[in-house]
Amino acid sequence: MHCNDHHHENKNYSRRDFLSKTSLGLGALSLGSLISPVDAYGNSEFLNLLESKKMKLPHFVPKAKRVIYLFQSGAPSQLDLFDYKPKLNEMFGKEVPKSIIGDQRLTGMSSGQNSFPMAGSLFKFRQHGQSGAWMSELMPHTSKIVDELCFIKSMYTDAINHDPAITMIQTGSELPGRPSIGSWLSYGLGTDNKNLPEFVVLVTKGKNGQPLYSRLWGNGFLPSQHQGVQFRSGKDAVLYLDNPPGVTSGIREEQLKSLKKLQSIQHADIGDPEILTKISNYEMAYRMQTSVPEVMDVSDEPEYIFDLYGDDSRNPGTFAANCLLARKLAEKDVKFIQLYHRGWDQHGNLPKDIKKQAKETDQATAALIQDLKQRGLLEDTLVIWGGEFGRTNYSQGMLKPDNYGRDHHPRCFTIFMAGAGVKKGITIGATDEFGYNIAERPVHIHDFQATLMHLLGIDHEKLTFKFQGRRYRLTDVHGNIVKEVLA
Amino acid sequence: MLTEFLDFLGSLHPLIVHLPIGIVLLTIAIDVFMRNKNNSVHRVITLGWFFAFFSGLLAALFGWFLGDNGYYFESQIKIHKWGGIALVGICFILWALRYLNFRFTRTLNRFLNTTAIILLAITGHMGGEMTHGQNYLIENLPFVEKEKTILISEAKRSTVDSLYVYEDLIQPILEEKCMACHNQKLAYGGLNMSAFESMVKGGNSGTGIKKGNPYQSLIFKRVSFPQDHPKFMPPAGVPLSYEQIATLEWWIDNGAKKQIPLTLARKDPKIMRLMEVQHGLDLKEKSYLETLSLNPPAVSHLNALNPEKYLWRFLNPEESFLDLKFTAKNIQKNDLVELLKVKDNITWLNLSDCMLKDDQLEILSEFQNLTRLKIQKNRLITDRGLEVLKELENLNHLNLYGTRVSDKAFETLGQIKSLKKLFLWNTRVTQKGIDAFKTLHPDVAVISGQ
Repeated sequence: MHCNDHHHENKNYSRRDFLSKTSLGLGALSLGSLISPVDAYGNSEFLNLLESKKMKLPHFVPKAKRVIYLFQSGAPSQLDLFDYKPKLNEMFGKEVPKSIIGDQRLTGMSSGQNSFPMAGSLFKFRQHGQSGAWMSELMPHTSKIVDELCFIKSMYTDAINHDPAITMIQTGSELPGRPSIGSWLSYGLGTDNKNLPEFVVLVTKGKNGQPLYSRLWGNGFLPSQHQGVQFRSGKDAVLYLDNPPGVTSGIREEQLKSLKKLQSIQHADIGDPEILTKISNYEMAYRMQTSVPEVMDVSDEPEYIFDLYGDDSRNPGTFAANCLLARKLAEKDVKFIQLYHRGWDQHGNLPKDIKKQAKETDQATAALIQDLKQRGLLEDTLVIWGGEFGRTNYSQGMLKPDNYGRDHHPRCFTIFMAGAGVKKGITIGATDEFGYNIAERPVHIHDFQATLMHLLGIDHEKLTFKFQGRRYRLTDVHGNIVKEVLA
Repeated sequence: MLTEFLDFLGSLHPLIVHLPIGIVLLTIAIDVFMRNKNNSVHRVITLGWFFAFFSGLLAALFGWFLGDNGYYFESQIKIHKWGGIALVGICFILWALRYLNFRFTRTLNRFLNTTAIILLAITGHMGGEMTHGQNYLIENLPFVEKEKTILISEAKRSTVDSLYVYEDLIQPILEEKCMACHNQKLAYGGLNMSAFESMVKGGNSGTGIKKGNPYQSLIFKRVSFPQDHPKFMPPAGVPLSYEQIATLEWWIDNGAKKQIPLTLARKDPKIMRLMEVQHGLDLKEKSYLETLSLNPPAVSHLNALNPEKYLWRFLNPEESFLDLKFTAKNIQKNDLVELLKVKDNITWLNLSDCMLKDDQLEILSEFQNLTRLKIQKNRLITDRGLEVLKELENLNHLNLYGTRVSDKAFETLGQIKSLKKLFLWNTRVTQKGIDAFKTLHPDVAVISGQ
């Protein structure tokens, strides 16, 4: 498939290639071509050797063909949703035992507190389904489909604050600048629908909370056609996609044709691979002029589908409406569909706020999984629900019988998955009885990413991109597949 | 009392046996290396042979007791026994001749010394093999490859489905560990294990194999005793390994029949793990694609497919499995005929939402490697069209949602033996029809959205 083909084109140099090859003077450049094995051996076996080393993707028969990632930005409280800890209710208001926290670092927001009173969840927990998964009353709809889900209760991350943590889970590094998961997949696996981007982002409108930056779905150092494209609700799903008034589709096509000619001349001349990217972006934009309005149009969805996703789904831009769109995009074989829902960062006033958040997401999440299932899409679609880290078992600020807040907690959190290649009705890993540390089967962000790649038929250690002199991968130098997850 | 005392002496054989070995070697060394022999040297040599004879006699005597207590059988100890006795004899002759001041010629002396050394080597080696097992001599040499008991050949290993527990695992163990004594000819304790029936029946002490109950099966009991138990089996040589005992137990537990396929181990993760570690057997159930190997399709055939109509990608790095989707809105018969050139390579095929018609499905019967077929959202597809699909012998996913199939289709669908998942949401199928189908085919997951 189309991988980093331009890296195999020996004759063309981008500006960056040129500078890096001439940094030792032009002498080094000519030496470079003298000792280049391709030039030296011409068309001999050596070339075949190089050829055989070219990436062949997928590395094995994939279980999943696409991913829908329902990202819950701000870090939902695992202790009020999934991770049932009766001990915290039993010891409500008592200090967290010293032995539990040890000498671990706390965030600046609560580390100054004199007291760390344990806050048991105010919400009732009950076991559901044949798998007996514990769920709080906050998610009545999701509770009904627990037998489709695979919970990982022992996720942990390195970062303690939102931006580095989201950047970490999306790109494999806390520092900005690496490609997002969706970009890696687009780069590695290519397209399944030439009329839509491989990586589409939908953000719930009108939500406050931690900011989201477009670099979270950025291509980093990968060619820019692999970046995520945000589809907005409302008139223009993709900004600046429509023709300006007075420009017809025919005129636009002519324009693009001429532009392509010019750009091809330019590419033949200086050979910068980014020109090809530009051409493909223009072509994609042109095709999207018809394909995007088509996929964003939900008018032919029957009433019972809206009922399934909940009333919100009739209101464009809500999480529910986005879930419905996600299903439509999955039907169109978009490879990576990422939803963002903000507002889970409940440092205070958690019991009241989390109710609202859960209500916005619960029904649509369950509906999406059910809808995918009945269409046969859950067979090759992986659905993921989760945030960037967890929340503390102690109250941030004053603990009241009916109110508390929870601070950031990177040491454990819960996510769940459903669909292609993932075991159903299973819970992996566990936290201690205080819900503070991991007691069983820790799963790091990189392990999660490695597993995700594995499900898509990619060996996470083999999908690399050479940049600034070294090969990068999503999981950097880490990551072990969580075999327990695999069906 | 006496026999027990003799048994005790017998148990001292391995201890005392090293005395004559040392003395014989030392005496010969003195004889060979001390060239200028004065009288005292001669007397030392004479004395040496006496001690060699005397300690050798004791060792041989004790050895006789040991061999007599029944743990060993004649064929095993024959050479060792008679070699030892011959050595003692030669020591006696050498001592007696020297004692009588016999004038040795150089040649005769050399001949006798050499004979003694050869006898010593043979007897010692045979004794070593008995206590430390065959190959004890070189098995720990760094450059000698450790002999692995490869019970299952490479060819058989690749077809796990055709392996039988008794034939491929149990019988080789019994043959190696038991049948030297418990065979048709010898049948120690009345037990003959060379035939399945007589093994199950057992010997004088009781039932050999009690089907379904390892703890009442004497064969299992004897091999799983503590090793110092007097009735522990096998009495000599290397005992059965943990894996062998566990396999035996598991086999008896599951009925101890001759025809139990090894794939039964899939129900027992512990045994499955043992098979993987000990025999390198991967018992995990393989999907059709995992066992299929194909040649990649011709590039020219792929390039001939119109990119406006078809989108395809490879599913494996060998680039032989195709996942193909028809992307245009209205499919024609010719569009499917086009695909016949790569029909063997198409493993996943998506023809959803493209006005597919019943009679067009006929062509699909040629796609024998198809494992997933998506023909959902084609309102023109009815029960009639499905009938040809029963010829797809490897189909395991079939998506029919949004077609007009009804309960009648179940008759056809039931004939697709490989079917694992069936999607029937938004069709004319009724819950009653699904329930009836499910009772007949409980292995097939039917997803109907109800």
